[in-house]
Amino acid sequence: MVEDSEIISVVNEQGESIELLSVDEWIADIDSNVESGKGVVVTPADDVELLQESLHKIPLIALDFVSFDDGRGYSQATLIRKRWGYSGEIRGINAHLDQLQFMLRSGVNTYDLQEQYQGSNERDYTHGFSICYQVAANNDGMKQKF
Amino acid sequence: MYQYNTDDTAFLVERVDQFEKQLDRHLVGDLDAAKFRSLRLRNGLYMELHAHMLRVAIPYGILNTEQLRALADVADKYDRGFGHFTTRQNIQYNWIELPQIANLLRDLSSVGLHAIQTSGKAMRNITADPFSGLTEDEVEDARPYCELIRRWFNIHPEFSWLPSKFKMAINGAKLDETALQIHDLGLKIVRNDAGELGFASYVGGGLGAAPMVGPEIHPFVPVEDIISYLESVLRIYNLKGRRDNLKRLRIKFLVREHGAAEFAKMVDEDWQHGKDDPALKLNMEELTKLKQDFTLPIESLDLVDFKDTLDINYSIWKTNNVRTHKVAGYSVVNISLTQLGTAPGDATSEQMRMIADLADKYSNSELRTTKRQNLVFPYVRQDQVYALWQELEKSDLASPHNGTLAHVVACPGADYCDLAKAVSIPIAQQVQQRFDDMDKLYDIGPININISGCENSCAHHHISDIGLLGLKKNEQEFYQITLAGETLQETVIGRKLGRSIAGAEVVDAIEDIVNIYLDNREEGENFVDVFKRIGIASFKEKVYG
Repeated sequence: MVEDSEIISVVNEQGESIELLSVDEWIADIDSNVESGKGVVVTPADDVELLQESLHKIPLIALDFVSFDDGRGYSQATLIRKRWGYSGEIRGINAHLDQLQFMLRSGVNTYDLQEQYQGSNERDYTHGFSICYQVAANNDGMKQKF
Repeated sequence: MYQYNTDDTAFLVERVDQFEKQLDRHLVGDLDAAKFRSLRLRNGLYMELHAHMLRVAIPYGILNTEQLRALADVADKYDRGFGHFTTRQNIQYNWIELPQIANLLRDLSSVGLHAIQTSGKAMRNITADPFSGLTEDEVEDARPYCELIRRWFNIHPEFSWLPSKFKMAINGAKLDETALQIHDLGLKIVRNDAGELGFASYVGGGLGAAPMVGPEIHPFVPVEDIISYLESVLRIYNLKGRRDNLKRLRIKFLVREHGAAEFAKMVDEDWQHGKDDPALKLNMEELTKLKQDFTLPIESLDLVDFKDTLDINYSIWKTNNVRTHKVAGYSVVNISLTQLGTAPGDATSEQMRMIADLADKYSNSELRTTKRQNLVFPYVRQDQVYALWQELEKSDLASPHNGTLAHVVACPGADYCDLAKAVSIPIAQQVQQRFDDMDKLYDIGPININISGCENSCAHHHISDIGLLGLKKNEQEFYQITLAGETLQETVIGRKLGRSIAGAEVVDAIEDIVNIYLDNREEGENFVDVFKRIGIASFKEKVYG
């Protein structure tokens, strides 16, 4: 779980541990944060536009999907990946099984499921739909109809 | 009309398969009630007082007869033999067993029907004019645009977990049958000075406890840019809409908080990033194809020598149920499902099959649903209207009440819905019993009465001539009356008459209101005209005096 000002870290795709800063902490001292290889954790209430300028310097961005019905993370992911063209890792943290395909299509590329979903068949929910009706950050492997 | 192809059907099956897995996980305790609620609502499933209610989408209110028969079969196989057509042009079943849901939805998918996004915090079915494509002076047939926009927001990855539900209406006619300014987002098809088509966009309308007429936030969005524009509206709502206060979730509160001009600016700023993205341009090729799909299946007929049958009962019915068609030789026929003594909008499976047979015979196998809970036959030859009437009459479906005060619009109310504070259908029936004289009904003319059992306002009482809102005070049922709401020419929220009235006295109050109208009516004036001229005071005095 992510709580205010609690420093957490995630292991990235390359197996390195990345310490995560809040958006405020990141923009307070971007140069030294870049140097020390810090990543950013974004909560649903954060304004991701604050990251836009320094976006491509961030090694990893974690979006917090802890609240099932709070859909702001999907727009945050879309802006970061699709609009601003961020090519680094976007990690969905505290993710929910039933929302995996929504997250992945919005531009999240790795995820940490909440513990309650351990042992579930993830593929049912990452690939539940093979057809899509709209442009998205990532429609890989889907038949597109629009 | 547009028919689902194999991809569309495969998509529906994938959705059912996934929902079935979610249901199974819930039943074995692996998916908690809160999350299951959020998921089941997106599949149209409500858990109600006595059983489970399922809302099935009728996209922009168009059905073919194969689909209507499938709906009848569902009513028999999974419900108690009837369905309830709603004010948002959908159909609901009230007695569904949980373990049967997936099979029911699979049955429907085979005819291109589904329950996707018929509830929950997502984009709902699009409301359309039931006369789309049929009226002479319409700006543009809205149906192809409805289909393209419906499709785009179907399981949209970015906009499926909004702060609240999101209802849209699209109108291409001069008169507004859709009530678009009481929707979260209303699109009016317009032409600019250069004669090009576009959409005037209205955001933040809604009924409920805080009714609001949606302000215009853009006068003209070119047709090819509508997708990117809608994405921007939804993105601003998704990111900035209130999520902390359960009474402030709808987009109308966001619009109210910022003001329409500021909200429009926020949308516009976002839109600047999307409007030139080729991937977000409306697919004009697909639009052309859809226009072909929606080509009217009839051609004009030369019926100059045709003389319609003279019959007093037929004439009475015809006055209120038959409209002129833009294609010569054809009529548009209303079939009122509101019979005296039955619940508004209810149809038995037998009636549905009968209507399907009649639509095959008289209306090119197509029909429409309306927000007044009627069915419409869009393509009836003028020289066959009488024969159709005779068949409807035989089946008790030629209610002459349609368009009169006795045609009450009501939600299911406290008899069926666990949100309701008061009953709706029994009050509708009492109104029908009180005004049971046809001569009197014709003298009174087309007054609308709409009854909602709670502030969710499913029966649209705010935009009716006489609106009733059910309340509960000290365990007693009361009704708040509003007068002179309208949407056809302009959108006006009905004015509150005064303190709420006990259930036992509310039909007396309605009669008082009708009498004030009759006493003051001048030649050709309808209810709203009289109300505007004499004001609310006379009505108040009569009811409370």
